[in-house]
Amino acid sequence: MNKVQCQLPRAAWQRMLSALPAQEIRQLAKTFEDACKVEDLSLPQSGLALLKLRDTALNETFYLGEIPLAKAHVSVRAADGRIAEGGGQILDDRASMARDIAILDAVLSGKLIGWENVEALLLRGAAVRQEEVMERKRLLDATRVDFSLLGKVEGEEGND
Amino acid sequence: MGYIAIKGGREAIEGAAGALEYLRTQEGDNGSPLTVASIENQLRLLTSRIVSEGGLYHPRLAALAIKQMQGDTLEAAFALRAYRSTKPRIMETPVQNSEGMRIIRRISSAFKDIPGGQMLGPTGDYALRLIRFELADESPEIFREIARKFLSVIPDSELPDTFPKVLAALRKEGLLPPAANAPDCAFDITREPLVFPVPRPAALATMSRAETGSLLALAYSNMRGYGDVHPTIAELRVGYLPIFLPHPVTGEAAEAGEVLMTECEIIAAYEGDNTSGTPTFTLGYGACFGHNEVKAISMAILDRSLQKGAKDGPQNPSEDQEFVLLSIDGVDSMGFASHYKMPHYVTFMSDMDRLRTTQGKKK
Repeated sequence: MNKVQCQLPRAAWQRMLSALPAQEIRQLAKTFEDACKVEDLSLPQSGLALLKLRDTALNETFYLGEIPLAKAHVSVRAADGRIAEGGGQILDDRASMARDIAILDAVLSGKLIGWENVEALLLRGAAVRQEEVMERKRLLDATRVDFSLLGKVEGEEGND
Repeated sequence: MGYIAIKGGREAIEGAAGALEYLRTQEGDNGSPLTVASIENQLRLLTSRIVSEGGLYHPRLAALAIKQMQGDTLEAAFALRAYRSTKPRIMETPVQNSEGMRIIRRISSAFKDIPGGQMLGPTGDYALRLIRFELADESPEIFREIARKFLSVIPDSELPDTFPKVLAALRKEGLLPPAANAPDCAFDITREPLVFPVPRPAALATMSRAETGSLLALAYSNMRGYGDVHPTIAELRVGYLPIFLPHPVTGEAAEAGEVLMTECEIIAAYEGDNTSGTPTFTLGYGACFGHNEVKAISMAILDRSLQKGAKDGPQNPSEDQEFVLLSIDGVDSMGFASHYKMPHYVTFMSDMDRLRTTQGKKK
């Protein structure tokens, strides 16, 4: 598993990067497009994916519905000749954004020239995601309930 | 069935579309257009309904469809389905597991104490159904202050990222049928016709994108006495399901995003197992995109009633697969009802001719 200094596994990178405005991703990806040779190993695509879910009652699989998906797979050759492959798959309509993420994924995984800038962006994305997670947990925790107490309040009767 | 050609229809149709737009914008200088973001966020339950009934998890487009269709949920779901039909399908995801859901609400009516605890989350279940008149004059300042204030008084939380399933504990005790290693038989209802009897995955997929009211009506018929499911909710959870797809380079499962979904498991009357004879509770399952608890519960009840119908033969409408699955799709049923608005002059003229002939013979 690829890890950078921030210890985020590569499998989490696209999720972290997609937390940031597309413009920021584009801006940084463009610097690598200008400085490196970027080749599409498969055509960047956007469309739909059929979401398969396992039902937790009887353990059967079924399709819950469809989700938007954009994906890209690129190869990046840096000025010093080193090459790295990168991929991007996001629940989004923009193939261009998936491609930008794929470029950043390649640069970071291959530690190509300028990878520190990608790591910095990744850390910012991770902070946004962390904030999102914490906010959800706080909201959830604020609504924790103990139903066994309801019947003990004077004047109230417990339900069945 | 016959139809009649329309002359001068183009101008009339353009005029009708214009009249519709006029009504949407008739507030004039006093009005301001609804933003898609406002619909998506402030009418989040409506948006949820459209993503699930449209069968496409795209909240922004669902909100846009709501705006375009002026709040008509059936037409909005239709528009979302029409959109999805224009897009290529580029992948079928690996099987996703809802145990990894990032919960925003989780309750059980089967047990007071469940592993991880019960959390009400965002719900109006315990609020009075009285109109809050103060919302009629809500100022932007007050509106913006509410969320900020609410968060500022809530302390940090140490809650885990995921929670165990209530059913897992019951299964461990042997009170449920063992989780079989069911083969992957997912059924794509968008590309394969329903030829009855259909496998359970086809029924689940059909119910997942069914119209909420239709599901509720049929489930309610079962609750009211035309059936005997008598459900207890083992767990109702709402949360964000992370979607893991193989990374294009490493093949490792990498998160591509998340979808908001509602999931419900119900426990119903126990029955003997066909092989061992050991009685266990029976189960029903419901799930849909977005936050829509009534839909998930109704689906779980119908899942159980359809299982019963498949096993013992249908004795009530809600146990009949063909009756249920062909009646619950909003776009199908709305389309059929709406088609009666189209000119049927030729067929009706034929009806009139037959009636006159019959009347003439009687004289």
